Amino acid sequence: MPIVTFSPSGASAEIPAGGTLLDAARLARVRLEAPCNGVGTCGKCRVRLDEASRARARIVATRNLSAEQVADGFVLLCSTLADGDLEVTVPGSGERGLRILEDGVRLDLPLNPTLRKRFDAERRCTVVSAGERVLAEEGGDTTTRLYGVAVDIGTTTLVASLLDLGTGARVGSASALNPQVTHAQDVLSRVQIASEPEGLALLHGELMAEIDRSIGLLAAEARIPRRRIYEVVIAGNTCMMHLAAAISPEALGRFPYTPALSGHEHRPAAALGLHIASCGEVYFPPIISGFVGSDITVGVLATDLAAAEGVTLFVDIGTNGEMVLARDGELQATSTAAGPAFEGMNIACGMRAARGAIERVAIERDDIRTATIDEAEAVGICGSGLFDAVAAMAVLGIIDSSGRFTRKAETLPAPLRARLRPLDGKTVFYLDGEIYLSQRDIRQVQLAKAAVRAGIDTMLLRNGLTPAQLDRALVAGSFGYHLTTRSLIDIGLFPAELDGKVSFVGNTARTGAEALLTNDEARETLRLVTSRVEAVELATDPDFTKVFVAAMAFPAPVSPALSDAA
Amino acid sequence: MPETPEDLHEALATAVLELDEVLTADLCNKAVALGYDAWTTIEQGLIAGMNRAGKLFDEEEYFVPELLIASDAMYAGLGILRPHISQANTIHGRRVVIGVVQGDTHDIGKNLVRIMLEVAGFEVFDLGRDVPAQAFVDRAVEVNADVIALSTLMTTTMTQMSKVVSILEEGNIRHRFKVIVGGAPLSQQFSDRIGADGYAPKAAQAVQLAKQLTGLVNAAA
Ligand code: B12
Ligand code: FES
Repeated sequence: MPIVTFSPSGASAEIPAGGTLLDAARLARVRLEAPCNGVGTCGKCRVRLDEASRARARIVATRNLSAEQVADGFVLLCSTLADGDLEVTVPGSGERGLRILEDGVRLDLPLNPTLRKRFDAERRCTVVSAGERVLAEEGGDTTTRLYGVAVDIGTTTLVASLLDLGTGARVGSASALNPQVTHAQDVLSRVQIASEPEGLALLHGELMAEIDRSIGLLAAEARIPRRRIYEVVIAGNTCMMHLAAAISPEALGRFPYTPALSGHEHRPAAALGLHIASCGEVYFPPIISGFVGSDITVGVLATDLAAAEGVTLFVDIGTNGEMVLARDGELQATSTAAGPAFEGMNIACGMRAARGAIERVAIERDDIRTATIDEAEAVGICGSGLFDAVAAMAVLGIIDSSGRFTRKAETLPAPLRARLRPLDGKTVFYLDGEIYLSQRDIRQVQLAKAAVRAGIDTMLLRNGLTPAQLDRALVAGSFGYHLTTRSLIDIGLFPAELDGKVSFVGNTARTGAEALLTNDEARETLRLVTSRVEAVELATDPDFTKVFVAAMAFPAPVSPALSDAA
Repeated sequence: MPETPEDLHEALATAVLELDEVLTADLCNKAVALGYDAWTTIEQGLIAGMNRAGKLFDEEEYFVPELLIASDAMYAGLGILRPHISQANTIHGRRVVIGVVQGDTHDIGKNLVRIMLEVAGFEVFDLGRDVPAQAFVDRAVEVNADVIALSTLMTTTMTQMSKVVSILEEGNIRHRFKVIVGGAPLSQQFSDRIGADGYAPKAAQAVQLAKQLTGLVNAAA
């Protein structure tokens, strides 16, 4: 059987002749991007083969690779079969130095944790209880040693914090990649894998092992034994909650996406593979629907959305674009399925927010200026850069309001004109060095931003509201945190009426989960709030498609001097 | 205003391509008033314009809104000309059963493909979305379809497509239909793997594929 060796790591795997390089990479546990789960549509699993290896490989497809890259020996892992031993070079991993947003706004709640310890002087023991339930008794007085962990499971990253439940203080935090990323990038592909019992066991096992590892790190750093941690609160999207709880997410993969767990429930930590106090428990906060999970509900708690006066829009700008519209305590929620473009996926030069990614693009007189993460040489563009870039292109008239590259390039200022150059027969716009945006990339951004905007507009429409009646917008999540109100409005994802009303609240999934650890009443409050949230189903909304199609356009450029260039 | 039927057809095609519904309707009314052959006007004007729009769409020059607006213009023109079609026209009569597979309700792409198939003269039976595999087969048998066109946008529902192929095989009727598949998460490899007859990434290419498979054009064309 052929042996496939991956450099620079040196890892290798043996696969049956005719197997794909992606299979080999997974066997060898090489960390890589395969966002389309090996279907061959995303073009992100590119690696390089030397000439000798190419002779022993069967290249089935090279979608999204340029002629130049093919000539350079680039192939797609998922679309290349091994007929003999191969040497594969994995280009600089996009996940190295991945930027993870840890913090967010928090709600000031009194310290009143669910978990309590009471010293029984007579029997000289400490009683551990959760609410009314007695969980355990410990010899001696251990009342000052009571800790809990809050975890935010993102599809890509995990963030965990250790809290001293005696003081309410966060005593440590850790972040890590969600190990499931190696198997599948997006939520639905994970649903697919975990629909089979072995797949569920695999994804659950890896996830919990990683959380357990983070807990170990936190405990070691704080110099406390693991057994002093009594509770773990886990927030995440509905799929991640299923995977954490080892419940099949199969039904999330098909209409009507009915979740098999509703949250606001406890499980013994040991049964889920977490090594904390032997009586320790995991608490899963309530969820709203198959695609609006507890990362959103705890965010509602952290921002005290139910108490907000007037009309507030809470939106997590990301792959699933979840949003909640609050009208004086009445809440409606939906998810808008923006897609992976915001994570740099589906974009020719796209990458995650890691070193060398263009993260900012600004208009500067007759030209644009870019900035990269760590000020490194540009190796790609991440979501925030993409937003800025497309917004700038719309404002400068490089694309017209329909998103098409201008057909009057000659009217553009010379520096911009020079950036429009052909690549493989089609005009693309060069941002920095070799990094460009193509017409296809613009289309992907249009789908993504239109999905979120259409969600907003549909929610407003259902309530008979106009954008001007929005009192404020809260942008949650790590991606949104790196955006600017200017770009959000210029690109048309937000209505212009939100100017001056937007705040970026950060990782409220984490701060909300922490609040649930430190305040028991918050759980009941959140359960009540969540049970009253109306889940809006966009797929059956009669106006959605029309609103969505209309939202693909870019708003008229605000800069009059250049507007006639489009 | 154009002088000859050819000029008018060209102006009409351009009006559809340039998304001008008012001008499209005006030109169609003019064609009727001048007694131009309605079918030729549809073919050389409306459909020619829509095909050009479809081509631009496949090249990413046009996007979903433009293609939909162009089709609105085309349908407006069709509404005017249809009552005036005199003799039986040269429609090829090939039939397509199309729908979004069970478990999925994303239907915007499927709708675009349907429009372009109609433009190409296919008689299209649209089963809508969230359609069970068996329903595709039943309908295809019922209307004696030439092509079964399956669409999905979700990874988790792609397997429904192989189910359609299996049902056809089990019923020994696989040879009677060409099965074509499409949707963003699919690829030619996937189509090959499940034993479908073809895959196309875009709407106009989907039409080309359907034409090839039904012998309306040869593969080289
Ligand atoms: C619009 C949209 C929606 C709308 C759907 C409206 C509707 N009536 O269709 C709404 C908001 C309702 C929606 C909901 C959901 N969506 Co959605 N949605 C999208 C979005 C933004 C665009 C899809 C689209 O319309 N593309 C434009 C059309 C024109 O392209 P197309 O369909 O690919 O069609 C072209 C070709 O594929 C081809 N073609 C299509 N069909 C066929 C058939 C044949 C035979 C052939 C030959 C060719 C062909 O021709 C077409 C024209 O060129 C994508 C993300 C994205 N950026 O792409 C997510 C996306 C498809 N959705 C997704 C998901 C998961 C959902 C949800 C299940 C969950 C969620 N996160 O909210 C829900 C529930 C859906 C439901 N109830 O059914 C995921 C799928 C992920 C995956 N890997 O499978 C995506 C990719 C977003 C994401 N989260 O990553 N969604
Ligand atoms: S994983 Fe290979 S192209 Fe997407």
